[in-house]
Amino acid sequence: MSAMVTIARREFRSYFDSPLAYVVICLSFLGLGMMFFLFRGGFWQVDRASVQGLFEYAPLGLSMLVVPVVTMRLLAEEKRTGTLEMLITLPVKDSDVILGKYLGALGLVLTLVGATLVYPVAMFRFPWNLGPLDWGPVTTGYLGLTLFAAASVAIGLVVTALTESQAIAFFITFFTLLFLWFVGDVAAFLGGNLGVVLQYLSFHTRLEGFSRGLVDTRDIVYFVSVTLLALTVAFRALERRKWT
Amino acid sequence: MTDVMIQASGLTKFFGTARALDNINFEVSRGEVVGFLGPNGAGKSTTMRILTCFLAPTSGTARVHGTDVFEDPLGVRRKIGYLPQRAPLYTDMNVWEYLEFVAQIRGVDPTTFRTRLKKVVEVCGLAQVLGKDIGALSHGYRQRVGLGQALIHDPPILILDEPTADLDPNEKAEVIRYIREIGKDRTILLSTHNLGEVEQACARAIIVSKGRVVADGGLDDIRGKTGAVRYFLAVAAGNDGPKGAEVRAALDGVPGATRVRELDAEDGELKLEVSGASDSDLRAELFRCAVQKGWTLLELRRDAQSLDAVFRDLTRGDEKLDRGDSWQDDAGDDADGTSNEAKS
Repeated sequence: MSAMVTIARREFRSYFDSPLAYVVICLSFLGLGMMFFLFRGGFWQVDRASVQGLFEYAPLGLSMLVVPVVTMRLLAEEKRTGTLEMLITLPVKDSDVILGKYLGALGLVLTLVGATLVYPVAMFRFPWNLGPLDWGPVTTGYLGLTLFAAASVAIGLVVTALTESQAIAFFITFFTLLFLWFVGDVAAFLGGNLGVVLQYLSFHTRLEGFSRGLVDTRDIVYFVSVTLLALTVAFRALERRKWT
Repeated sequence: MTDVMIQASGLTKFFGTARALDNINFEVSRGEVVGFLGPNGAGKSTTMRILTCFLAPTSGTARVHGTDVFEDPLGVRRKIGYLPQRAPLYTDMNVWEYLEFVAQIRGVDPTTFRTRLKKVVEVCGLAQVLGKDIGALSHGYRQRVGLGQALIHDPPILILDEPTADLDPNEKAEVIRYIREIGKDRTILLSTHNLGEVEQACARAIIVSKGRVVADGGLDDIRGKTGAVRYFLAVAAGNDGPKGAEVRAALDGVPGATRVRELDAEDGELKLEVSGASDSDLRAELFRCAVQKGWTLLELRRDAQSLDAVFRDLTRGDEKLDRGDSWQDDAGDDADGTSNEAKS
């Protein structure tokens, strides 16, 4: 348990030892700001006391930039340089390694998600007050983002556990998350049974409810299941080294 | 409590269909410093990875201080300090942070860590670099930090995988000195392919080749293992001098000579290696042979079987896999030395 926390702490801190974390944070905030305020007139065009745009663009930014970048090195890089061998031959369980790395990466992503709270707070509490914001959907929106981040990071971890190349890990995670995001829109075109199944899989459709203030147990169960499944697969992938 | 600290019994490991280890058996007792020798790819690292529970053997098992690697991998790892090949450390941390990280994972409490750190810094000569990023350290220092992390929890057993590879001669000597220092009160299994280091640091060696143990015992026992003594001859060649084949044939005829090999040589010179029984001295015979044939003898030397030569004898056939490694620089297996020329 404590080994897991130590690994998670090291992982989290190491992001700030490289310029990567800062670049990603800056880029994602810049991107989010532009989308939120400027894209198609953005917040001003909508002319409502709502931060719904935030919950529309943040997950996209997370899947296309933040999560792939944050997770790509978790195991791939350590396998390549051999530090993984050093880590695993300390008295730690493989599950501690997986969970530690997972929590370290998730910690960074959630820090980033938490930092977007500056939007609703600065706009509707202090220093500005642009209107009466309904905080219900904001709260559920953040719940959705958290669940979404948990599942996405777990998927990124699986990918990084399967390869030794950061670049490959980045692209596979990128496309997987992109697929899971847009598959819902594709499904709407397809219709039929396949469409329904794909609709079920889509992160986009699963998140929609949360941003409107709707907490559906099925959506929670879905994200949690994806997370647990991915963590199990990542654990098995790490364990596989022993036997092959 | 048992005095057998490391026990490998029947270790076999397949990677896919390739057999990396083939029934490896050995024991290391308390307080021994054992050199684990073998060409690259002979299975040294694989064995060490099994002992540290990084890999699982396909069959067979290993016990570390009585703890089975299958039953209690964490218990095994707790007793071991392990330094993998090339000392893979987190380059983004500084030395202090790294050692602290390892100590935390190993559950060393902060006060013990302070005292251990002091000791480790002293033994491994880390005082100067404690605050530096590992990424900025030279290879020699990284290797020392690697040793330091292996020692931080004061383990009874150390497993070091090629701790001196890629180091310059001074750094090598330093690391060997540290290992000898550390080895005074610990059991150490040390892999290397530098035989000089084994002779300096270890009392016993285990030689593996192609996944099998081919020799195991005290250094003197191993030296006597092939029961042979070597003689090195250099004969002036040149245009009117003797030809290689001619010389080989003549030396073969010397009574007591069991094997004659031609070694790589410069122009105008022929170098040969003659093996003879260990209880004889063929120098006189060889000299007479040279005089009889009218050769100009440039060098004649008797080598009590060096570890190096035994190693080459025992791991013959692996050599081809390991071009460029130091022990076979002068190991021309082919009579005409063509393969060696192609190599250099």
